[in-house]
Amino acid sequence: MPVLTGKELRIVGFLCNWCSYGGADTAGIGRFNQPTDLRIIKVPCSGRIDPLFVVKALMNGADGVLVSGCHPRDCHYAEGNFYARRRLEIMHNFLPIIGYEPERFEYTWVSASEGQRWQQVVTSFTEQIHKLGPAPKILGPEASDTLSLMQAAL
Amino acid sequence: MGNPRSESNKGDQVKFQEELKDNIRKALPELDVVIGWCGSFDPLHATPHFMRREEDIDKLEISPLSVHNLATYLPGLRGKKVGIVVKGCDSRSVVELLQENLINREDITIFGFPCTGVVDQSKIKKALGGHTGNIEFCDMSESVIVIKSEDKAYTLPMAEMLADKCSSCRYPDAVISDYFAGEKIGNKGEEDADYAAVETFENLSVPERFGYWLKEFDRCIRCYACRNACPLCVCRDHCAAESRDPHWLSQENNVRDKLMFQVIHAYHLAGRCTECGECQRACPVDIPVLMFKQKMNKEIRDTFQYEAGVDPEATPPLLSFKMKEENITEKVW
Amino acid sequence: MSWLEELARENKVFAPRYEGDAVIFAPFDPKQEISIKHAATMPPKKTVFPQSEKLVDFTYSKDPENLSRILIEAKEILPKGTTVVFGSRPCDVRGFTMFDRVYLAEKTTDVYYKARRENTSFITLACEKPETTCFCHWVDSSPSDASGSDVLATPIEDGYVLEPFSEKGQKLLTSSLLENGERWILEVKDVHENAAGFLANAPDLSQAPQKLLDVFDNMEFWENAAAKCLSCGACTYLCPSCYCFNITDETTGMKGTRFRSWDNCMSAQFTMEASGHNPRPTKAHRLKNRVGHKFSYYPAIHDGVISCCGCGRCIKSCPVGIDIREIVQEAINHEPAIGKE
Repeated sequence: MPVLTGKELRIVGFLCNWCSYGGADTAGIGRFNQPTDLRIIKVPCSGRIDPLFVVKALMNGADGVLVSGCHPRDCHYAEGNFYARRRLEIMHNFLPIIGYEPERFEYTWVSASEGQRWQQVVTSFTEQIHKLGPAPKILGPEASDTLSLMQAAL
Repeated sequence: MGNPRSESNKGDQVKFQEELKDNIRKALPELDVVIGWCGSFDPLHATPHFMRREEDIDKLEISPLSVHNLATYLPGLRGKKVGIVVKGCDSRSVVELLQENLINREDITIFGFPCTGVVDQSKIKKALGGHTGNIEFCDMSESVIVIKSEDKAYTLPMAEMLADKCSSCRYPDAVISDYFAGEKIGNKGEEDADYAAVETFENLSVPERFGYWLKEFDRCIRCYACRNACPLCVCRDHCAAESRDPHWLSQENNVRDKLMFQVIHAYHLAGRCTECGECQRACPVDIPVLMFKQKMNKEIRDTFQYEAGVDPEATPPLLSFKMKEENITEKVW
Repeated sequence: MSWLEELARENKVFAPRYEGDAVIFAPFDPKQEISIKHAATMPPKKTVFPQSEKLVDFTYSKDPENLSRILIEAKEILPKGTTVVFGSRPCDVRGFTMFDRVYLAEKTTDVYYKARRENTSFITLACEKPETTCFCHWVDSSPSDASGSDVLATPIEDGYVLEPFSEKGQKLLTSSLLENGERWILEVKDVHENAAGFLANAPDLSQAPQKLLDVFDNMEFWENAAAKCLSCGACTYLCPSCYCFNITDETTGMKGTRFRSWDNCMSAQFTMEASGHNPRPTKAHRLKNRVGHKFSYYPAIHDGVISCCGCGRCIKSCPVGIDIREIVQEAINHEPAIGKE
């Protein structure tokens, strides 16, 4: 994305196939405007999301991660999002120990008809990430590759 | 916290060792093996001791050097009748294994004793100026460690050499046992676990925290001693760290993969880790890996009021759910 | 110290220093103190045999003439530059002589290893006093063994006496910062003899190769020896003479790199075959292989040289305190049960 280099941050979205992806689709049909930083990966259910996807995404260059599923009690597979809620809550609170701001990861519930809500979620989250700025990145295989630049920045 | 250990004396220590040996003698005929500890390559180290015949029992020695969590051997010995000597923290690992059906209760015989703590070898090393390669003599009592190394004598206060987990131990007695030698010290499960170290660390800035881990993990050699020493890491041949599909980690010597492995390990232990600290102790290059698991346990406690390894009938919180979660609030956009 | 700074102008210099609580060989930084009083936690193995190294970079592309064909462009990545390692111990560097027999064999030479080995010089410190886990004299070595090293530095009262043991070593010693050390030759001898004097008598290991083969089928012996083993990799990765590796291709999209990385025979998947069969399924099998390789199979192929340098790191760093000396001696003293075939 050469045109937008430097203006966009990399935000990865994991959307459940049934509610959230549908919700994003509804937002598209309604022509609701959203920032384009978010790139979506479709999964069958928020319960499929291994919380480690969030950390792997952040460590491999993402600045923010958003997970969205069906509202609790409305999961297409009945219970998937209940498990997801527990796992992702723990992961959200775990991030600070690694050195990531917990605000870089949010999980939410958006149903298929909530196009406007999807627009709101994406806009707010993108703003949240832009306020935080780019995430800490690992620049090379040895710690010194990254640390020397971090020292210069401090 | 008042230290009940200062009240017991060495005489009691010796007494319970004999009682423990008697208990094992009683049970050994029905068992394939009983695992305990005995002396090792120098006076400052112990090693796991596998007792199969009666004469093996004489070599059994319980001391502040008995640092190893023997529960890690249990899943591999499934199908055999195994006896295991446990400190309080070790017994919690046994409970966790029982919770997850990784061992059968009827095949395990648990021998408990009143544990007054074990030492942290790296603290002793620091007190000796960074070198423990020439230990000639070592004697440990309740309050003091006397070491003779390279013709110099050292007297170290036991309280300062204890492992961090021991200074704030709430489970000195085995939470589950078939035999208990000696007088119980008394468990304090209702008290809150101490996570001050985690909280202090999180007060550092983001670059300080991230930079700290990059610096520490630079020397990691991916030996997986931390993983193999963990009693709850039972995936063996199917560990995510060595899987090509899904490809979580590359084979490159890259600090990213080393840090990612620790996050994977901590997360796979969420709600299961009993903070026995073996992961950190086993690391040949002394990387402080325990903090990730302590943080995970703190979050599990704060969100689900759950502590691993206490109730064999409990279900780990991430393996269940409630329709309405008390401590989880939805994000308002 | 300033001699190291001078060397650092033309070479990459490694010296041991503290990282956290461990002493490892790291790129020399004059602002950070080096730690050479005792042997380092990790040997300098990675300077010649890196934990992971890139062998080949490759890119896939479609053949413009025939779009159903995929072209691969591969670029070999050979190591460049010279390295000087300061502060290794005789046992650390002796390990490379075991590598050399395998990697620099006439029939097949490992070009990556060769490039690094020929361009790395070792300034080894003679030991003044062994540790309780040292057993270099069991395996035909000594606290002042210079095999594999280029310079042997012996500590004397106000400094070090440097003796060259190779052409590379001689070149290193042509610095204006160093003075002639011939008058201290006798003191050097004293230090060496003194250090050797601390070592208790070595047992006779000449029987080891045959005795280890004699217990090869005795799985009970090995199960007892391996009962407390955790099957991790600490002993292997910290061993100066362990040289096994694995090759993996790491690809992203249309390009990738072929890596060589350390592998360890103690891990469960070391001998896992594509069929799913694993000839060394238990830790007893794997410990038997490791001890057998070092004290029996390698000597049998390589003129009786034991592939162990007696540094004792496997004993010190093993999380459960497995002592390879014990295992070898038990094998030597093992009497088969009477009446057994």
